[in-house]
Amino acid sequence: MSIIELHGLAKSYRIYQKKEGLRASLTGLFQREYRDVHAVRGIDLTVDQGEFVAFLGPNGAGKTTTLKLLSGVITPSSGTATVMGHVPWLRENAYRCRFALVMGQKNQLWWDLPAQESFRLHQQIYGIDPAAFDRTRDELVDLLDVRDLLRQPVRELSLGERMKMELTAALLHSPEVLFLDEPTIGLDVIAQHNIQRFLKHYQQERNITIMLTSHYMKDIAALCNRVVIIALGQIMYDGSLTGIIDRFSGHKVLTLLFADDQMPSDLARYGEVLEIEEPKVTLRVNRDVVPEVLSSVLANHTLQDISVEDPPLEEVIAEMFSVSQEEAVEMTNTE
Amino acid sequence: MLARATTWWTILRISLEERLVYRGDFAIGTLMRFLPIVTQIFLWLAVFDAASRGEIEGYEISGYGYSDMVAYYLLAMVVRAFSSMPDLALGIALSIRNGDIKKFMIQPIDLVGFLLLTRIAHKLVYYSVAIGPFALVFYLCRGYFSGWPDPDIMASFCLSLVLGFLLGFFMEAAIGMMGFWFLEVSSLLFVYMLFNFFFSGQMFPLDFLPAPWDTLFQLIPLQYLAFFPAAIFLGKVQGPELVNGLLIEAGWVVFFILVSRVALRRGMNRYSGYGG
Amino acid sequence: MDQRPAYFRVLATFARNSLVRDMMFRSNFLIEATSSVSWTVMNLGFYVLIFQFTPEIGRGTGWGQYQFFVFISAMMIINSIVQAFFMPNAQEFSELIRTGGLDFALLKPVDTQFLISLQRVNWSSLSNIGVGFALMFYSFTKMTFFPSVIQLVLFPIYVACGVAIFYSIMFSLAATSIWLGRNQALYNFWFYITNFSRYPMEIYGGSFAGDALRGVFTFVVPVLIAINIPAQLMAWPLSEQNWWLVVFTLVATAGSLAACRWIFQRALLSYRSASS
Repeated sequence: MSIIELHGLAKSYRIYQKKEGLRASLTGLFQREYRDVHAVRGIDLTVDQGEFVAFLGPNGAGKTTTLKLLSGVITPSSGTATVMGHVPWLRENAYRCRFALVMGQKNQLWWDLPAQESFRLHQQIYGIDPAAFDRTRDELVDLLDVRDLLRQPVRELSLGERMKMELTAALLHSPEVLFLDEPTIGLDVIAQHNIQRFLKHYQQERNITIMLTSHYMKDIAALCNRVVIIALGQIMYDGSLTGIIDRFSGHKVLTLLFADDQMPSDLARYGEVLEIEEPKVTLRVNRDVVPEVLSSVLANHTLQDISVEDPPLEEVIAEMFSVSQEEAVEMTNTE
Repeated sequence: MLARATTWWTILRISLEERLVYRGDFAIGTLMRFLPIVTQIFLWLAVFDAASRGEIEGYEISGYGYSDMVAYYLLAMVVRAFSSMPDLALGIALSIRNGDIKKFMIQPIDLVGFLLLTRIAHKLVYYSVAIGPFALVFYLCRGYFSGWPDPDIMASFCLSLVLGFLLGFFMEAAIGMMGFWFLEVSSLLFVYMLFNFFFSGQMFPLDFLPAPWDTLFQLIPLQYLAFFPAAIFLGKVQGPELVNGLLIEAGWVVFFILVSRVALRRGMNRYSGYGG
Repeated sequence: MDQRPAYFRVLATFARNSLVRDMMFRSNFLIEATSSVSWTVMNLGFYVLIFQFTPEIGRGTGWGQYQFFVFISAMMIINSIVQAFFMPNAQEFSELIRTGGLDFALLKPVDTQFLISLQRVNWSSLSNIGVGFALMFYSFTKMTFFPSVIQLVLFPIYVACGVAIFYSIMFSLAATSIWLGRNQALYNFWFYITNFSRYPMEIYGGSFAGDALRGVFTFVVPVLIAINIPAQLMAWPLSEQNWWLVVFTLVATAGSLAACRWIFQRALLSYRSASS
């Protein structure tokens, strides 16, 4: 059953070139230079209940803008969207009670007060039954291991601890849909790992729907079965993680370990040399010619070890973006 | 010596350029700064009306007729344009607190000199832009003035403006430098601002004060920041009284220059004593 | 979560959280409270001074010394309520718009205007209310007049109207920063406009400029009504009230609040958030 539906959702901004000083601003009232930024250009998307979807894309791709549109924080230029039957930008209280948005490195808790005071405020704003609230809060702080920090002023907590508090606050009202915008950005590896583990557990247990944006492959690989790639405001890919490599990667990475002093000096004819560390060499080879290269190498040299791997995901995606950027340039030239 | 002068000129020039960028804001802001005066002159109109029982013409309060009141407020604004030093004390206290002041230990110019130059630059730009709005307002209100004063009064007036600038600058600089010894200068500054507002003559001509306040205001240097120059222009201070006033004002300027220098030197010593 | 948020309880939590926070910075709290009171006392000195020269403000207006003190106490009461409950939120609002922190307010299932307008309370600003009431009672003893029950009931209602009018202007100005970006001129504008309300509206009159000012600030931006009517209610007996204005105040209050609401809603629709 689909719970989130987007049709042709688009958001454009007109940015006026601001000049310094009041007088310039006044003349600017009559004649202004501007440029249009198309943050989101007509997205179609359907998400079913219980899915854990990742939004991937370069900076400025439109990921955060889409989440903000779905949260009702901003209003679209065109297109429609419904989440659980509500239109987000109508900002109905009934809708706002049912979802949560968490933004990495952005704080909504009161800075000078202990987190538990902010939680109490949440309880009253969301009208949560006190018994249910205590239960939920205890469960969350135990899962995230922050119980001892509840009485400390938020400003004294580390970045990772603050993020955990933000997550707790967001989940206190047991939302059915959770939007996460770069939740692990700026955190150290351990904190990232903890939050990933928590999210996975929480989502599986409650079967809520989550949409997550992130730069970190580890986040996505660990958590999501579905990846939506956005670039330049449009969806480039929508499917599984492994599918990306199959579809977008044109080559494989060959690692060859030569026996004794057998390493040749003309490695370049087999493929692009990525790294040499005698007697090991790493090559990038076009997919279609991998069998050919392998047989050629094996025929001419003695090898102690061979491995054929997919390129790292980041690389595939980066490559895909450069491809799509060329396409996009073509697109805008013909508009 | 020449190197010093070139340094000073460069600093002045850069500050000037920096401020010129915001000149548009200045023009409108300047006009708006006259708005509170509008309320004041309506207030005094009502006061004069009631006090004189409708015969405002020729009625005087402590030697000021109604026209004098309007003229006084406008003149006080001019003096304030010279003697007010926004953010000077706070700026000094802040740079002491966050350590910026250390760079002055190694540069060929000291803090006070540098600030004086930048402040002169700010004021020059301000005057170049504000002269338009000011001239406009004064032209519209010329009926409240009884003509230009005599040349020697005019000269005294200009002198008092310059002295007012120096006095305002060194007083606030001295307060700012209390930051070497006190963590929170803002309370001290608040008290200064409070007394400044009432005893400088911004709110009303200090001539209005009854005893014992009239002796009090003569003893403290705040009157030179708004009241004294305006009174000179309006001819309320003449002859030997005028000369005395200027001399005493000059004395205060010297006093605060000394205080600033001593505070700066002692403060820097104290500072570097911490092994910065 | 189908139950509505208890608006009163949320308000109480805002108040409590702000108090806890203010108490964490106790010395600041005391300093601010003292500052407000000392400022008020100084102003009182000025008013006492004025009445050395005149029996009333404006001929035949009825604002004698103690009636005027009642006006001032009404002003203190209204201003301290505005400064305690709404000014910190208006400033915070501009900041939230600039940083994109407004996002979080938009996510909450409560009316956004309610949340934005009331989430912070600056308790130290309430110090002047005590001074206001004390001055008012003192004036009653000197006037040998005590308001009737009707007036005592109407006064808090009209104080609320005055607060509502100031609130509407303040928040409408703050909301415009969604379109205009951060603007220091905005803060100054608020100060300049409310400056006109510092004295009884009767001081504006008798001239074309005066009548124009009085008209604009009564019917277009009703700042003159905000303090005058509650003050008037307590300064003169019931029989001497200007009932047209008393009724008009209710209209002006409703109109101001409606205009503010409309501007606020329009602003929220245009909100762009900040880039992450």
